[in-house]
Formats: sequence, C-alpha cells, structure tokens
Amino acid sequence: MAIKELMTACAIVALAAIPTSVSAKTLVVGVQDNLTGLDPANVNDTLSQTSLRTVYQGLFGFDRDMKLVPLLAERFEASPDATQYTFHLRRGVKFHDGTDFNAQAVKVNIERLANPENRLSRRSLVSMVDRVEVVDPYTVKVLLKEPFGAFPNNLAHPGAMIISPAALEKYGKEIGRNPVGTGAFKFKRWAADTFETERNETYWKQGLPKVDGVTIRSVPENGSRIAMLQAGEAQFVTPLPPEMVAVAERNPNLEVVKRPSIVAWYVAMNTMRKPFDDVRVRQALNYAVNKQAYCKVVESGYCDPTDSPLPSLLQFYKQQEPYAFNLEKAKALLAEAGYPNGFETEMFGKNNTTAIRAMQFLQQQFAQVGVKVKVEPLEAGVEAQRVWGVSKPEDATVRMQFAGWSSSTGDADWALRPLLASTSFPPAMFNVAYYRNDAVDKAIVSAIGTADPEKRAAFYADAQKQIWQDAPWVFLGTNQLLTAQSKGLSGVYMLPDRGFSLEEASFKD
Amino acid sequence: MFNYLIRRLIGTVPVILVISLLVFAFVHLLPGDPARLVAGPDATAQDVAAVRQALGLDRPVWEQYAVFLGNAVQGDFGISLKTRRPVSEEIGERLMPTVWLTVASMAWATVVGLLIGVLSAVKRGRWQDYTGMLLAVSGISFPSFWLGLLLIDAFSVQLGWLPTGGYGTWQHFLMPSLTLGLGVAAVMARFTRSAFIDIAREDYVRTARAKGVPERFVIWKHTLRNALIPVITMVGLQFGFLLGGSIVVETVFSWPGLGRLLVDSVSYRDYPVIQAEILLFSLEFILINLAVDVLYAFANPEIRYK
Repeated sequence: MAIKELMTACAIVALAAIPTSVSAKTLVVGVQDNLTGLDPANVNDTLSQTSLRTVYQGLFGFDRDMKLVPLLAERFEASPDATQYTFHLRRGVKFHDGTDFNAQAVKVNIERLANPENRLSRRSLVSMVDRVEVVDPYTVKVLLKEPFGAFPNNLAHPGAMIISPAALEKYGKEIGRNPVGTGAFKFKRWAADTFETERNETYWKQGLPKVDGVTIRSVPENGSRIAMLQAGEAQFVTPLPPEMVAVAERNPNLEVVKRPSIVAWYVAMNTMRKPFDDVRVRQALNYAVNKQAYCKVVESGYCDPTDSPLPSLLQFYKQQEPYAFNLEKAKALLAEAGYPNGFETEMFGKNNTTAIRAMQFLQQQFAQVGVKVKVEPLEAGVEAQRVWGVSKPEDATVRMQFAGWSSSTGDADWALRPLLASTSFPPAMFNVAYYRNDAVDKAIVSAIGTADPEKRAAFYADAQKQIWQDAPWVFLGTNQLLTAQSKGLSGVYMLPDRGFSLEEASFKD
Repeated sequence: MFNYLIRRLIGTVPVILVISLLVFAFVHLLPGDPARLVAGPDATAQDVAAVRQALGLDRPVWEQYAVFLGNAVQGDFGISLKTRRPVSEEIGERLMPTVWLTVASMAWATVVGLLIGVLSAVKRGRWQDYTGMLLAVSGISFPSFWLGLLLIDAFSVQLGWLPTGGYGTWQHFLMPSLTLGLGVAAVMARFTRSAFIDIAREDYVRTARAKGVPERFVIWKHTLRNALIPVITMVGLQFGFLLGGSIVVETVFSWPGLGRLLVDSVSYRDYPVIQAEILLFSLEFILINLAVDVLYAFANPEIRYK
C-alpha cells in the first residue's frame, strides 16, 4: 500500500516536472576575451562584432557556411557595372525602441558610417558610397563612386548593421553603450566582463527566440571556461583549446563540435628583399614544409592544409595543385636560385602559444633544407610597429611574418586585396609580403568592377592561379573551430569567421 | 601626530606629479601605435587615421600631457581608447572587487601566518616548527594557478558547492581569497618566525623571564609586540601588491580586477587606462606607507612622529 502511494506520488511529481515542450532559460556563453564596445560601426574584434549580432542585424547576413543570406533586405538588384544597387526591404520590422525599420533608417545608417567626420573605424565598408536615395519607404538605392561588386557582402559585415535612427538621435556617441537594433535579443547590461541581453518579444522571425536571453561572459582561463560548462554555469564555450578536447569528450553531458573556418595561416615573405625576391626560393620553402605535420603539431590535427590563396569556404575558391612535401625538390630549387647551402633569415609573429609553436615547427622544417630561421615572438603592439611603422616599402625590415587572416565580409575581395594587392603595402594595408604582380592587381580590380558572379569567378580563378605560382607566402593550413556545449543545447553554432550564431538557441530536456 | 599626517599628505602632491610625468613619458615611449591597435589589423590607412584623430593622438605629446594633467586634477581621466568608456568607470568597476578580495585574503592570511609564525618560533626545532615551516614553504612554492584550478575542479565541478568564478556573493570570495592569501600567509609565517626569534634573544626578554613574568606575557607582550615592527612593514607591502590586482587569480577565477585590466591595457596601448591605473597604484602605496608608519607608533610607543 505504502509502495503504491509512493509510486503515485512519484508519478505526480514526474508529471509536474515534464516541461512544456521547451523550457526557456537564459543561455550563458563563455568566451575568452572582453567585448571592446557596442557600436558595431566602431568595433574591430570578431567577438564584439559577433556578440552584437544578437541585438543588431544588417541588410544581409551569413549562413553557417558563410554564404550571403538576406536579412533586413529581401532582395537586391545591381547594375551590371556594379555602381548602383537597389535594395528591397523587409516590411513590418521594428527596432527595440518601437521605431519602424524602413528605407530612411538604412539611409541614416549608411550615411553615418560613410561620413568621414564621424571617424568610425569601419568606414571602409561603405567609403565607396556616393549617395543613398530613398525610392519609397521600403526601397533604397545606393549609388557608388566606383564599381564595387562585393557591396552586398560589405553590408553583411557586422560593421554595417542597422541601428535605430531614433536611438542614434537620442544617444549620439553614447550609442556605443546603448545598442538598439532589430535583433532577436534586446540589450540589457554591459559590465566589465559580462554582456547581457533578453528576448525580443516582437522579433520578426516567427517562433524565435526560444531562450529568455543570452549572457556572454568573459572567462580568460581555458580550464576555468571548461569548468564553467561542467558545472552547468555555461552551456556553450568557445574557443575550446585542442588539448581540452579529450577532457570535454569524456564528460557524458558535454558535446564537442568541430567546424571549418575561413581563418588561413601563412608565412609572408618579403618579396622585395633577397633572397625572397627569387620565386624559386619561395617555392622551395613551400615544398620544404610538411603541411600535414603542421596541422598535427600546431593545431593537434584540427586543421586542413591550404590548397589555394583563398580558404575553401569562400566564394570563388578554386583548388590549386598542392606544394607536396618534397625536400629534394626544395633543395634543388634553392641550389638553382644560388643558395645550395641555404641561408639565414628571421621570422616574427604573435607571442601566444599557438603562434610560438607554429614558428618553432617551421624553424625545424626550414632547417631541413639549410635555411636557418631566427624566431621572434612579438607582443601585439611591437608587432604592429614592425608591420606598420614603415613609410616606404624599401624601409621594411620584415623578412618573414607568421600570420593568419579571415575575410570578415565573406568575400574573395577582402581575402586577397588587403593582403596581396600592390595598393596594400603597409601602412595602407596588410601586404607584408610586398607582393606585386600586375596581372593579379588587374584581376582583383576587375573582379570588384562587376556584379556578375560568373565574371568575378573567372577573374578570381586567374588571381588564385597566379598567386599560387608566385608563392609570396608559405601556404600552411586553415584551422578548425572547436567548441564545447552542453548536450541539452541546440541551435548554436560557430561561423567560419570565428563568430557564433545564437539566434536559434534552444534547450531540450 | 596630526600635523605630521597633514605634512606627509601635502608631501605626496609633488611625488604624484613626478610620477604622472614619468608614467606619461613611459607609456608614450612604448613601441606600437594605439590607433592601429584600436582600429584592428584589417583597417585601412584611412580608418587608422580617423581613429587617431578621434582619440586625439594626432596632437603634440606635450599638449596631450597638458590636457591629461588638467583633466586628471578635476578627477577626469579621459576615455579608454579600447572601449571608449570613461576610464573612471573602467577602473571604478574593478576597484572594489580588487579591494575586497585584497581585504578578504589579507585578513585570514595575516592571522594564520602570524599564529603559525609565533608557534614555530616558540616551539623552535620541534615538530610544530617543522610542520609550520613545511606548510609555509609549500604555500610559497605551490603555483596559485594550479591551486585555483584544483579548487575549481573540487568545489565547483565535482561537489557543485561554489561558483567557478565571477564576482558577486560571499561564495564567490572563498576560492579566490584562499588562492591569493596562501602565498601571503606563508610569507607572513616565515617572517614572523624569524623576527620573533631575533627579539627572543634580546636582553629584556631574558630579564622579563628572570623576574618571573608568566610565559604567555613574555611571548605575546614583550616579544611579539616588538617583533611586530618588521611584520607590519611586510603586511603593508603585501597589501600594496595585492591592491595592484593579481593576474593569475583574476584570470583563473574570472575576477573583474585591476591586474588584468592593466595587462590588457598595456597590450592595447590604452594610454589613459595605463596612466590612471599606475597613478592609482602609486597613490595606494603612498597611503599604505603612511598607514604603516602610523601603525609603528601603536606597536611601539617609543616611536613618535613630530
């Protein structure tokens, strides 16, 4: 009798405990760094930008494979010469403060970002804009000063997300602390190491969001971040260092997720200086590195060897013939170039663990063909000084730099032009290899001069082939993005540019 | 005594001025362009120039110093280059967590360190002494980084009693203050022991014993009180160091403290934050030194300030 009663009681408790399909609560994300600001047009780190995607949206966005998708714009038309774009906007969208989203809001935002007097650090995204015209409340036309075929991609960048015009008016410069957008979550609080949002009840996407809010907490120590997840204080942590994968996989409540990235790692060689002015030397160093071993040693195997100047997830990527690991060929090329016994040189890069490990690995690889490399891990400010503290290319002291890059607009242009166009020599941009090839320059300019995807693809195919042959870099690998999450969480995933998407987060239990 | 305090406080003004000049010169001598670091690696030269202008870094250095000093006198330390929030807010948010963690760690560490030190000195050469000093050496040698992670694993992950990190309730204080205080307690114990042993050799201690003063009076009144002078100096120094924030403990327990802020600011070349923080630390040390001098007079009435 007593047992029966007990069982009935248990059943009642169990019934009461069954959640109504989805139990809503706040999602806590553990990250490594602090956010640096909340004005999307004025922040430059991936973490701040991607975190702001909870509150803000652009006319376009990216899906999980970094493909362009419409968000606040429903569709667009471009003139064939890529100088005029007409955007048709989504109707019935409201900002968190109740303001209507419309063509006027788009005009205000693009003009704000493009105005040099506002001194916004993301201005280059729209600096080619001549003027913005409101055609009707839901159609906006943007006229460019020069052709720019990747313009919708630039508008998909977090820097070009749309802020409530009423909030811009109200807060002025303080908008960087009071974000008001159209996103799935409303801003609640930002303190030293915590960014809090709550659900937007009137979000325009049906059925979203499914959680009460999102909190992004900075937990710099890798071990502590995993502990937070194990203790249930966070449900998603990023990044997960490769050496922690085994720990997380042993825990039955956790799930480790691996996702491809568009973060390409390479060694830039100063092509204006001896011995790197000789293409045979640069090719020889490409043959001298075992890329599989690089991935294994530096990224614990969570990495794919590079096979094009463009990462494979970017649009217009074209695979090239790999520089297969071949010491004999490397030595022969070096001998042909007049360095049968190799040479001495130096390489610098960042001073974090991964960069140091990578440079030491490369040092060992190059030593196999007699190239002795002095490795210099540099603190960020010192490195910036070494790269950008030059006025003329001839003054550059850089020999080799170990670096990584991800195209934050998801477009081939931003993956090639800042790094490999001759207009991008420091201090203008990041062409640390001082690589100049007129054919490549022409292809990059022509590709951006048209809005026709087929033509663009052809130009970028030429550029990739030429760059691959010229080998201004030692091409290394593209690392995978590792995260750990609690098993009850779904709908959260990393984007290939190291950002994350939280909008569809939901808990099942 | 009061006049003495006033004079000492007035004397800090030129010291602070000199420090402000040194700090300003020092941060501007660091290699690395803050505008470039703030604008990010994929900014164009125009973007960087815009940032430099927006931050006022394009003006002559002496002018920047004058502006900095003029504002600082009025309590305005400018805007952080990195977050564009007022520096007073960036520091203010982290000051109290740092102060409270320092107090929480120093409080138990001083008491425990003192007791172990006295016990070891009194029972010199016996098992209490060996145990105490073994603990002290372990406390100094144990990496706080590892201890912190062990504590988190035991109390947060396995037992689920305490939060892994962050700042908030009293539970948040337990593990960080244990981790941070351990080294201090160890130093205190060793310091107290040696100071105590030195004093115990003095003639007046022998005299006290000879004239029949009870042993506990000899220990606590005659010996310890005199041994306190170097110990107070040590407490002051440790207090000052901890107020500067502890990078390791703040990192392991994601504690919003001043140590990590300083390191982050240096790597970002966030001039206003670096300047304000170092000025704050200097001021803290000056005040602690003053407090230590005053405490000497309490510990030893023979010390008088005029």
